[in-house]
Amino acid sequence: MADHTVKAFDEDITRLRGLIAEMGGLAEVAIQDSLEAMIRGDEELGNRVVASDRRIDALESEVDKLAVRIIALRAPMADDLREVIAALKIAGVVERIGDYSKNIAKRVGMIEGRDRFEPLTLLPAMGELAGEMVHDVLTAYAARDPSLAREVISTDAKVDAFYNSIFRNLVSHMVENPATISSAAQLLFIARNLERIGDHATNVAEMVHFAATGSYPPEGDR
Amino acid sequence: MTLIHEKIERDKNAKMIARDVSVYYGSKKAIDEVSIDISPNYVTAFIGPSGCGKSTFLRCFNRMNDTIPVAKVTGHIELEGEDIHSDAMDVVQLRARVGMVFQKPNPFPKSIYDNIAYGPKIHGLGEKKADLDVIVERSLTRAGLWEEVKDRLEDSGTALSGGQQQRLCIARAIAVDPEVILMDEPASALDPIATAKIEELIDELSGRYAIVIVTHSMQQAARVSQRTAFFHLGKMVEYGPTSDIFTNPIEERTKDYITGRYG
Repeated sequence: MADHTVKAFDEDITRLRGLIAEMGGLAEVAIQDSLEAMIRGDEELGNRVVASDRRIDALESEVDKLAVRIIALRAPMADDLREVIAALKIAGVVERIGDYSKNIAKRVGMIEGRDRFEPLTLLPAMGELAGEMVHDVLTAYAARDPSLAREVISTDAKVDAFYNSIFRNLVSHMVENPATISSAAQLLFIARNLERIGDHATNVAEMVHFAATGSYPPEGDR
Repeated sequence: MTLIHEKIERDKNAKMIARDVSVYYGSKKAIDEVSIDISPNYVTAFIGPSGCGKSTFLRCFNRMNDTIPVAKVTGHIELEGEDIHSDAMDVVQLRARVGMVFQKPNPFPKSIYDNIAYGPKIHGLGEKKADLDVIVERSLTRAGLWEEVKDRLEDSGTALSGGQQQRLCIARAIAVDPEVILMDEPASALDPIATAKIEELIDELSGRYAIVIVTHSMQQAARVSQRTAFFHLGKMVEYGPTSDIFTNPIEERTKDYITGRYG
């Protein structure tokens, strides 16, 4: 895309995109680390995920301020306007993704008898897929690539399938052995958080598509 | 060729239609085969960089280019089905039906009252003083100026502030009961408050009159118009609903211009 006549405008947009990329990078690491902590029962790593979420929150408020400033001072139009609006919304969603990881990390100490649960082998795979969605959607954002955004949207069905299978599995654990209910419920929440991360990555993908093309992806893709 | 958005349908109520209009200044082609409909149902904005031909094209609608010796207009323009270039068309009458407001307010060096009454008088719209009084009050009221000047109608029009002078000029255009009002940068010499008043006025007048506005301020075009045409190098590049042009233009040149990437 050609540069703006007013160079400072380009600098503002570049900075905005940089903030989103940084938020996304942190959110991605948080997903991986929270699952790692959960599998290994590593509470210290869990605490670090909780702490790093503050940085994501701070970046979100920076995005808010910068976006408002750009709208007020530069009066962006057309794709610039869509870009700024999308950045504003994406920052909010990525912040939520960070919260879900934080929530997973907080549950690390609440799970007992880790080796008894089959879902503990499924959850990392599900987490990897959700993390991949977040990674890909941010790549799509950086490249303004609507077709990659649509691929991310189609991946969400796989995350949902994981969730359904883990759900059934955990419920049968609880039925067979009521002593596991407490830990199984924690794992259910974790699976639920990952499923929500997939949904949010899908929302970001829709915004990326909107920012790049001016329209949302066709209903069939969602 | 102009890219016309799908949402633009042919308007049966179009006041004016222009077909394949070109304008030459000597051998230079300033406007290249432009076609458009002008309707009272919405305000139409012409935007584009300096020298793109938007003002030249605007002036075609009431034959103001006739006053430029080297200018030659080809193509077809109709007002209510009448060819404005036909021998039967009285140019003075045409310019009453298609009024114009310019960038710099240009009131006559006469009283506020006479500024408004002059047009109706020469067009035979008000024979008696009482008739003219009615027209003057109505025109000034529609132009949002009545309350500010009703006690000083005998003061000179040039004694008003810039913004008031511009509204006086709009009142003057309205006084002869036009069908179309052409505005060439009507607010570019005004401060933001006076500009806002002019924009509010344009909003109120639309529906009653077909309004076409040429503006350098894209924010202004976005605020006051419902249709926007983007001109570049004498061509009408893209024409569509204002909200689409400013949020999702199709042509690369339009996008570059409105996002400030032009040139």
